[in-house]
Amino acid sequence: MSQAEARQTQRVVLQVNGQRHELDVEPRWLLADVLRHQLGLTATHVGCEQGVCGACTVLVDGKPERSCLMLAVQAEGCEVTTVEGLTPAAGLSPLQAAFQQHHALQCGFCTPGILVTMEALLRENPHPDEATVREALSGNVCRCTGYQFIVDAVLAAAKEGR
Amino acid sequence: MAVDMLKPQFTGARVTRLEDARLLRGQARYLDDIHLPGMLEVAFVRSTRAAARITGIDVQEALRTPGVVAVLTHADLPWEIRNDGFGVTQPVLARDEVRFVGEPVAVVVADSRYAAEDGVERVKVSYDPLPPVLDMEQALADAPRRVHSQRANVFFHSEHTTEGFAEAFAQAPHHLQLTFRVHRQTGVSMETRGCAAMPDPASGRLTVYVSHQSPHGVRAQLARVLGIPENELRVIVPEVGGGFGIKAMFYPEYVVVTALARKLGKPVKWVSDRTECLLSDAHGRDSVHEVAVAFTEEGRIVAVRDRVLGDNGAYPFPGFPGAVGESNWATNMLPGPYKIPHISLTVDCVFSNKTPLGPYRGVGGPIGAQVQEGMVEAVARHLGKDAMEVRRVNLIQPEDFPYRTATGNVYDPGSYSESLEAALRLLDYEGFRRRQAQLRKQGRYLGFGVCVFVEPSAMAHSEAGSTPYEAAFIRMEPNGTVTAALGLGPTGQGHETTMAQIIADRLGVDVKDVVVLHGDTDSAPFGGGTGGSRSGTIGGGAAIRAGEQLRAKLVKLAAHLLEAAEEDIELADGQAFVAGVPARGIPVRELARIAYTDVNRLPADMPPGLEVVARYQPPAPATYSNGTHAAIVEVDIRTGLVRVLDYAAVNDCGRLINPLIVEGQIHGGVAQGIGSAFLEELRYDEHGQLLTTSLMDYLLPAATDVPRMRVQHLETPSPSLGGFKGMGEGSLIAAPAALANAVSDALAPFGVLVTELPIRPEQIVAWVQAAGQGA
Amino acid sequence: MKPVAFAYYRPQSLAEAVRMLREHPGSKPIAGGQSLIPLLNFRMARPEALVDLNRIPGLDEVEVRGQRLRIGGLVRHQQLHEHPLVRQHWPVLAQAAGEVGHWAIRNRGTLGGSLAHADPAAELPAVMVAADAVFELVSADGVRQVPAREFFYGYLMTALQPDEVLAAVELPLASGTSWGFAEVARRPGDFALAGAICECRPDGTGAVTWFAVGGGPERHELVVAADANERAAQWQDLAATLDAQDDYRRHLAAVVAETAYLRSLGRDGQ
Repeated sequence: MSQAEARQTQRVVLQVNGQRHELDVEPRWLLADVLRHQLGLTATHVGCEQGVCGACTVLVDGKPERSCLMLAVQAEGCEVTTVEGLTPAAGLSPLQAAFQQHHALQCGFCTPGILVTMEALLRENPHPDEATVREALSGNVCRCTGYQFIVDAVLAAAKEGR
Repeated sequence: MAVDMLKPQFTGARVTRLEDARLLRGQARYLDDIHLPGMLEVAFVRSTRAAARITGIDVQEALRTPGVVAVLTHADLPWEIRNDGFGVTQPVLARDEVRFVGEPVAVVVADSRYAAEDGVERVKVSYDPLPPVLDMEQALADAPRRVHSQRANVFFHSEHTTEGFAEAFAQAPHHLQLTFRVHRQTGVSMETRGCAAMPDPASGRLTVYVSHQSPHGVRAQLARVLGIPENELRVIVPEVGGGFGIKAMFYPEYVVVTALARKLGKPVKWVSDRTECLLSDAHGRDSVHEVAVAFTEEGRIVAVRDRVLGDNGAYPFPGFPGAVGESNWATNMLPGPYKIPHISLTVDCVFSNKTPLGPYRGVGGPIGAQVQEGMVEAVARHLGKDAMEVRRVNLIQPEDFPYRTATGNVYDPGSYSESLEAALRLLDYEGFRRRQAQLRKQGRYLGFGVCVFVEPSAMAHSEAGSTPYEAAFIRMEPNGTVTAALGLGPTGQGHETTMAQIIADRLGVDVKDVVVLHGDTDSAPFGGGTGGSRSGTIGGGAAIRAGEQLRAKLVKLAAHLLEAAEEDIELADGQAFVAGVPARGIPVRELARIAYTDVNRLPADMPPGLEVVARYQPPAPATYSNGTHAAIVEVDIRTGLVRVLDYAAVNDCGRLINPLIVEGQIHGGVAQGIGSAFLEELRYDEHGQLLTTSLMDYLLPAATDVPRMRVQHLETPSPSLGGFKGMGEGSLIAAPAALANAVSDALAPFGVLVTELPIRPEQIVAWVQAAGQGA
Repeated sequence: MKPVAFAYYRPQSLAEAVRMLREHPGSKPIAGGQSLIPLLNFRMARPEALVDLNRIPGLDEVEVRGQRLRIGGLVRHQQLHEHPLVRQHWPVLAQAAGEVGHWAIRNRGTLGGSLAHADPAAELPAVMVAADAVFELVSADGVRQVPAREFFYGYLMTALQPDEVLAAVELPLASGTSWGFAEVARRPGDFALAGAICECRPDGTGAVTWFAVGGGPERHELVVAADANERAAQWQDLAATLDAQDDYRRHLAAVVAETAYLRSLGRDGQ
């Protein structure tokens, strides 16, 4: 395509965290980039842009998906949820509170992707065992914690019925 | 005096972190979250050749790319990073020759990263290839050529032999020769590296944001390279998504971005993508140790010779050429926890056409431990003894402290034997041996591996530079809350909590009332930053000292107001009161109010305000943490895959500031150790192309690769203030060696002794097949 | 790592989609995008336009039609893994789908996308070959049926034309054959180092279909020996013929074949 066309944008309507956003995007823009840089929802992080690390995971219609492997134009008509959308106006959600209580984060960069993934897990399976938690977590790389306290936090949140 | 009187409420407690709320709510601000109106983004054109002359760079088509603002090369940004002492300079954009794949050659500035990458594709660099230097043995002899034409490839050589080594070595009844090898690995922080710079038109100063471990270190380097006075540079380190040593280095991109902001008069940002990271973040490890060990009939190691060769890649990082750091640490700590009276060391570090080597958590510690524990395993096997018995024969005992090693270190007291026995108990070593024998009959191969480690911490020299002290600034605000600032560079270690714990205890206030600032050269006192496991010990010492000084002011004021002797005043729960008479007290916040706004009530010799800055340098050049890691693994000899079934870490880092945080550090280090032992390897092909340029190729441990770990704390206080020892690296020093030995133990029936990390599954299959054919 | 610029079309019907693919040279269909978008981000795929199949109704259904199980190309791996009809009629397919990537990848990645991408290390192409599935390829010219066993040409190469969409697959309902699946990967969720699907018929004949040890799925018919040593020799002889990356992969091919065989008999192959 020609250079002029290259920078053509198209209008999309995105539904993110219950809010409607109308904006112009280039078709090639990744959902992660649009969430972060157009909508200012910077909790979603970008770590590899090939779907491996899981830092950019968001919920699309309630299911965890990689926002680096989805174009923003494709998200039209879907309900996208980021960590901002899972966070109460004040304080922490029960899962977030369990993460703090169990020291389930260090640098915090992978944490939002892990929170949305574990939130989805607990909605599908409110009482997972450790193996189930680890399997669901295995698509999110954390370089700091060695995962143990994350697993503990998720199991504790499940036990408390969140 | 006050330290002894103090009954700490927070220090040593499992305090949950003050940092967490913003991180969990998604409100933390990392480098890529910084956005300013008009901000431009850059992408680098990087060398696609390991070694080549640049014969031309055509930027015309790139300049015509929509969104592209500028394309610059060395001609436009002729800055160079000088590495004094090695006779080598590193142009921030390659001048006329490229020396590794990934070296920055040109920079494209555009209105978005998308457009910048469009521009990068259209920059045409012409190369005239040169034969790359890729093999460290050949590099020793300047073959096939010199990486830097003006100097030999060997840029560092050292020798150290203890007096009487030759006799001791010759007289020993047993000798073994072993070659240990560790391949290239790197930190892979989940947040990639990045930098943003913006001129402040009003003041003429430059503000530089950088994802880094040492704000003052970056400022000093930028000032030096660009010739800008330090007071005209403000370096801000925002939230950092992991560092692990790679973010302690000073990289050419930071000069380019800062120079661009100045040149263009606009805010400019660069955020590395993952491929750039794997190509250009400091690589770590990559050395060979040729070891000869002499020992007695009972397994006592009497002399060790180690010839070390380290591949530094193309350039020495300023202040920390990785291969030198690796080799020095590994050889210096070679005896580890063992009484080895004689040592003979030879170290050579060479340049090659690979990515520059720098620190990765543990630096030379992992290969040092691998040599140390691999030797023990080999000696035990040679003598037909249990490796634990050989350890017991050689371990430094409590009565030996302070112990001077053959390499000249003086170890402060530790719990070497105690930690080994505790680890063996945690995993029921005797019971394991029985289970192992039973399962072998069923064709299942389990193994038990141990590493007794010694971790030098809080060193006077480390990758954080040669700043053997830290400074802490503390101000009690007029309402009694506390603001502190330190020159540290936390990347997830929780300093805002641990430093607040220490300070709160000194001032008798709640930990939640202490805000710890860091990472801004405009507000933090000059400091070395975070690296070499120094922050808890040196920074903590500074926090204690500043806390004591501020406490003295509060006590003096309280004594004056309460008409009591200063030595009778206690501070606790936000109150200053006369010991034994809690009713005779005054709230600390009232003291603060008086100190600022009711100054007529101050003692005559007390100036207004409650501010102190204090510095702390530990009494020794290092304090030594220790511990023992033990691993149980199962090796599937059909597939070559290894599973870690059980793991114990007994850790002694002196007085604990926060056990929760210490355990988190241990867990993370063990996970990285599993990566180091089995998964992580940066591989080059014969042309010097890095083959592992994505996380599909450079494999990181996932939640399903890491077992549940058992952690036990021992506490042998250090002579440093507070009794703290650093502990950020010990778990990654110990884990690879423990895991390697566990695999060796599992495969002992096949005569396998692991000496090379990481272990690839195809190697295991080949070893087992070779043993079968040999039998 | 950002894609090159491209145009984007979102057809509402299959007919519209294939017309767009025909009208826009250099265009490429996108379904889940879990293989395509990484290639876009690395700029290894440089399409002029993307035709997004995700909103086309009817492509995400699973149903039994006569003696065949019909699965739409847009069915996500996680759906495939969990779907009652798949679990009932093709448990080995449900199991294989559960081995594809990680949860977040399975939630978006599609069957049709995986088959069209034809990564030699992917599970689903091999299951289709083993199962003798038939693919329904739709273009502006109409529909053609291509057996899975004729679809995969080699590394990332298939019979699918640039203007075609893989709309559905049909698998014969199982008939007394027992199946086993096994794979070896460095970490759970990684692409396989070697994988196999083993089928055993009541008359003692059977077949093994390998993946990740050649340019594409490799199926071999054989009479599987009952004796373990003989069988090991059988696997090794067959594996020796594979165009695998190295001896280790050929060795693993024999290992996974045996595991898959034992699983087909309902025995735990570890």
